[in-house]
Formats: sequence, C-alpha cells, structure tokens
Amino acid sequence: MRLAYKSDDDAPVSGEASPAPVRVSARLERLEAESVYILRELSGFARPALLFSGGKDSAVLLHLAIKAFAPQKAPFKLLHIDTGHNFPEVLAFRDTRARQTGLQLIVRDVEDSIRRGSVRIGPDGSRNAAQAVTLLEAQQEFEFDALIGGARRDEERARAKERVFSHRDAFGAWRPRAQRPELWGLFNRHIGVGEHMRVFPLSNWTEADVWAYIIQEQIELPSLYYAHEREVVRRDGFLFPVTSLTPAENGATSERIVVRFRTVGDITCTCPVESEAGSAEQVLAETLIATVSERGATRMDDRANSAAMERRKVEGYF
Amino acid sequence: MDGAIFPLRASAETRQVRFMTAGSVDDGKSTLIGRLLLDSGVLMRDQAASIGDDEEDLAALTDGLEAERAQGITIDVAYRYFETPRASFIIADAPGHEQYTRNMVTAASVSDVAVIVIDASRVEGGALKRQTRRHAAIAALMGLDVIVAVNKMDLISWSQERFADIETAFADLAGVLKLSGVVCVPVSARRGDNVVRRGGADWWRGPTLIEVIEQSRGPATRHDAPLRLPIQAVLRDVTSRFYVGRLEAGSLRPGDSVVLGPHAYPATIASVRIGGRAVARAEAGASVAIEFEDERDVTRGDVVAAAGARYARAVVADVCWLDETAWSKGRRYILRQGTLETQALIEDIAFVHDIEDFSRREGASSLSLNDIASVRLVTRDPILADVFTQSPGTGAFALFDPQTSQTCAAGMIREAIT
Repeated sequence: MRLAYKSDDDAPVSGEASPAPVRVSARLERLEAESVYILRELSGFARPALLFSGGKDSAVLLHLAIKAFAPQKAPFKLLHIDTGHNFPEVLAFRDTRARQTGLQLIVRDVEDSIRRGSVRIGPDGSRNAAQAVTLLEAQQEFEFDALIGGARRDEERARAKERVFSHRDAFGAWRPRAQRPELWGLFNRHIGVGEHMRVFPLSNWTEADVWAYIIQEQIELPSLYYAHEREVVRRDGFLFPVTSLTPAENGATSERIVVRFRTVGDITCTCPVESEAGSAEQVLAETLIATVSERGATRMDDRANSAAMERRKVEGYF
Repeated sequence: MDGAIFPLRASAETRQVRFMTAGSVDDGKSTLIGRLLLDSGVLMRDQAASIGDDEEDLAALTDGLEAERAQGITIDVAYRYFETPRASFIIADAPGHEQYTRNMVTAASVSDVAVIVIDASRVEGGALKRQTRRHAAIAALMGLDVIVAVNKMDLISWSQERFADIETAFADLAGVLKLSGVVCVPVSARRGDNVVRRGGADWWRGPTLIEVIEQSRGPATRHDAPLRLPIQAVLRDVTSRFYVGRLEAGSLRPGDSVVLGPHAYPATIASVRIGGRAVARAEAGASVAIEFEDERDVTRGDVVAAAGARYARAVVADVCWLDETAWSKGRRYILRQGTLETQALIEDIAFVHDIEDFSRREGASSLSLNDIASVRLVTRDPILADVFTQSPGTGAFALFDPQTSQTCAAGMIREAIT
C-alpha cells in the first residue's frame, strides 16, 4: 500500500483540512490502516470501552482511536483498572490525556475488590494478576460488550496466539483451544448475552513499531519513559525502584542512577533499565539494538514461570 | 547478540512480509522458525537463555501454550515477529497436524506467501508425504505463492541428486494444483545452513531461504483492480457525513465517479481522508473516510465500487468447513463478505475436494470439520459477484453459525450464477 499526497498540479482538495505533510513508512502505513480498520469494526457495539492506563501502548491506541473516528468523537469510554500501585506521573498523564480527548474516564480500584473480598493478594504482594478480577467486575458493572486493549502479540508467547477479536464467555474466560478461526479481515463480532469481546488493534505491532509511530505522530508519553534520575537497588540483574511502596530492604544499598522504563505497570513488579535516552528517537535507537525483551527486562510477574501469562489470560487478564 | 547475523535490526523504513509456515513437527518446522528468530538477531537474551544448538530447544521457542507443550504438538496459530535490514516479517505459524487444517486456512488468510517445510531425509524416490500434498493444495486454494524449505539436508549429506528429485516432485505437484512460481531451497534448520547464513552445499548457487522470503510478492498488487470499498460505518459532524472503510481493491480520488450497491446508484466522491487529513488519492489497503458530492443513503454493508461491479444471489464457491459441528442441510448461516452480513444457504455440494489425491468426490451430502468442497450457495441479499483469484478482498467470505456464533467456514467465490 502506498499513499499519494497532494502536489501542486493535483486537483484542489475540498474541505478545510490541509494535505498530509509528512511521508510515512510503508510499514507503519500498513499497520496504522489495519488498526484503524479494526477500531472502526467496533462501531456496531453498544458499550465498548478502551483500556487506558497512561502507558505507551494505550497512548498509541488512544491516538489511533481518535484518528479512526475523526471528526466525530471516538465512541468509547476509557477504563483504567488501578492497582493502587501506579506511578503518580503516569496517573497524572492518564487524567490529563483523558481530559484533552473529552472521553469519559472510568477508574476502578483493585483496592475495592480487596475490600469486597473478591481479590486476595498472594505473598509476593503483586496486584498485577488481581487486575483481572477487578476488570471483570467493571465489565459486568457497566455491561461493556467490548474491551479494547493495547496488547501486542510480540510481547509474550501466550499473547502470540491471541485473536484480534477474542471472544470471552459469560465468565470472562479465554479458552485458547476453542478460539474462533479468524479469516482475512472478516471479523466475527457476534457475542451472546453476558459475553464480551476483547479487541486488540495493536496485535501486529512490535515494540520498535510503537516507538517509530510515537516519533512519527509526536505522541506524548509520561516522563518516566525517558531518561531520568531515580533511586534504585540492584538485585538479580534487575533494577528495583525505591519508592514508599517498595523501600530498600534491610542491608540493601540503593543508588541514584539515570534510568528509563520500557513498560509501566504495577510499581511492585516493574523495573527500569539503565539508559540515557531522553527522546523517542533515542529510545527507538536503543530498542533496535536491545538484547533483552521488553517484558523480560522489566516485569517480575512474567518471570516466575513461562506459562504465567497464559494462566492469567485464561482467568481474564488482558 | 552473539551469533546474530545482523547486529542492527531493521528501521521503520522497510517493507513488511507476512508469511505462513506449514509442515509437521517431524519436518522440523518449529526448529526452522526458532532458527529464523535466532539468526536474525531478534531473539532476546532472556528468551534465548535456554538455547543451545539443540533442535528441541530451538523448537521450544515457538511452542506457546502449556497444553500443546504437554502434547508435544503445535495446536493453534501463533504469530512471530522478526526483522532483517531489508524487511520486517510476521510469521503465522500453522500446525502440521492433520486435524488442524482449519488453522492452516486461518493462517493462510492473513498471509502473503506460504513456506512449506519438508523433511528431505524422508522423501524416498520423490514421493511427497500426504501432508505436504495437503499443505500445497490449501495454499493453492487460498491463492498463496509457495516457497519450499527442503529441510534436514545435512542428514542426506546435502545430496544434490535427492534435492533435484524433490524439486521435480514438487514441480509435478504444482502443475496439478496450478501453483506458479514455486521455489525450493535446501536448508538445515538445525545447523542453520542456508536459512539466514549461507552454508551446507557448494553446489547451491541460489538464494538463502530468508532472501527468497524477502523478495516474495507482497499484497500491493491490487491497485489496478476495480475499486472496492466496503463501508464500515457512517460518521457525522455538524455539517457533513463521512463514510469510512478500508479499500480492498483499486484506488480513489476526489471527483471519481462510483456506483453504490446492487442497483448501481451513481455517486461522485467529494473528498478522501486518511487519519482525518484530506488526501489527493488513496490506494488499496488504506483506511479512508469519504464524502459524496450529494447526500446518499449508504450504510454499513454497502460497497462503494467502480462502475461495472456485478452482484448475484447465487454463487459457486469453495468452502472449507472449520467448525466441529458439521454443516446441516437447509440451515441458514450468516455470511460475511466485506462488511455485509446476510443469510446464506448451501443448496448443493457439487463435490468434495480430496486434497490428498486431488480427486473429486461427487454425491457428498455432508460437510464436516476440515472438508473442502465446491458448493452452490444462495444468499438473501445480493452479494458482490467477485471472483476470489481476481479480487481476494471481496471474493472471500466467512460463514458464522446463527445459534452458536462459531465461525464455521471460509469461502472463496469461483463464479457467479446469473
């Protein structure tokens, strides 16, 4: 696919919008067109919600959703499942961005699920897996019939098998062996009463694609995606951020170094990497020569077991 | 990383090739994918931690789900991503196990080209395995070009003669299936010879497997076809209506004369937008928003087309049955073509394709999981009478079960009945 842009000898283009000023890569063009097509397939749903955490993938997803439905407002509510362990600058970014788009932001807290007793936290204290319970509770509360997420197939092996339109039964469960075949772009959007659809418009994007698109579209991100000074403790090859939630353990020596985050999630299981990359261009350059995967470098929750993600997904996790 | 052939991975300025892989566990398909990932340097240190040069370890990289790891077979379609300096790739990894034909059909529908892996050490006297014939038949049916990775060449001492036998056998098969442009490449996935790195045989002067895949024909051949724009939704702002959809074929410019729907109502395109910006031209693959010069009654399911588009209520099609529940005669299924959903009835099965001996089994009265048949199908509403080989975007359809909502068949229109 190739786009042709307006040149001087072309017929005048009607409407007030100016012609596209930048030439983009064929690869990003194909990915963007595909994602916009997927998002527009949501137009038949009664109550779709877009999962927006303020992380980079959801920021790209929101940007695409706005593009897909311009000049109309994107027909989605924004939903964030807050573990209560999020970085404050990410939450601030989430709120600002939601306000700018004019889309309603719904926040549901894992803390409330703990109080209700529907979530019990394991000995490691991580609330990441508990998000699935709160997410399904929110899905039922608002009767969302589609939940749109920024998960990518390149992130992790269980996600590599995910459909673009992924059916969830009335229990919200993913059944990897009973997935509907997905043919061409002819998505099967049919769901029964109480069921819902998970939709993944970024399925075919890689980490490098996401960064290249952030550069091309000048998409704003929370500051902790770029190099900043932070107090950390080195342990098991990871850098653990020292925060009020995760103080340095007795005897551990912390240090202040320049780091950035590759993924942003629950503070208790998300680690930064050492980096001087202060711009999206520099991050992309590092991404292209990275030797450790995005989740492998930074996520304690996937590390415990190679099947960890699959189990969480079966239970309703994104 | 150590052993990677490309120290720097691709930038954003490359083309993208989507290919599927077919072959059995025994053919070394998973090992081959592991090798592509390892030698292209895309494999990260944490993911490669357990990797020696051992075949099982390489294969383990690509087998995703717990259930299938326990069974030792790949049971679903998994997607892998890697890059070279010249292109980026999406692999749709389809299983080789016979009962999972439906997954190969699924993988084929989202791919530009098929890589079929065969075990050279087990081809005796040029007799290809049943499964290989089945894979080639499905690729032909789905309109994909085929690249054959003749694997395990190290086990037959890179015998040029035996490779030539396999090439000949595949050329014969391609002739029967009317597959054109089949390329065979001798490789050893286990040793990494001729996959990304050259190696193995002095006599081989041809390209490596990755070079052949890089040069395979992409999807960008539909620009010259007549315009097909199935409408997904109608957007409104204060003064205008925008009709949005993806161009499945052809191109579109402001001022173009088009026709709408089966009655071919004429209309003129006033503007074309991509991502909210007006453009002077859009081509196949683009997701657009358009305005018409005058108000038009267009809704989801309608198609904006070039003059001459034909519609029909009855077509001859090949269908591949994908549901555990067999086809029921007289049952009305939901048919999706483009963005249109209507009811469809399979009136008659002309014959079932035997995709092992390529014979036609006539007089069949049932269609069950993995059957591929030529059928006569009628629809409640007129559908575009586009032939799949000429317009894959609109010549394809899917059938859904109206009760269970399962996706039960993939269909390809072969001719319109008028």
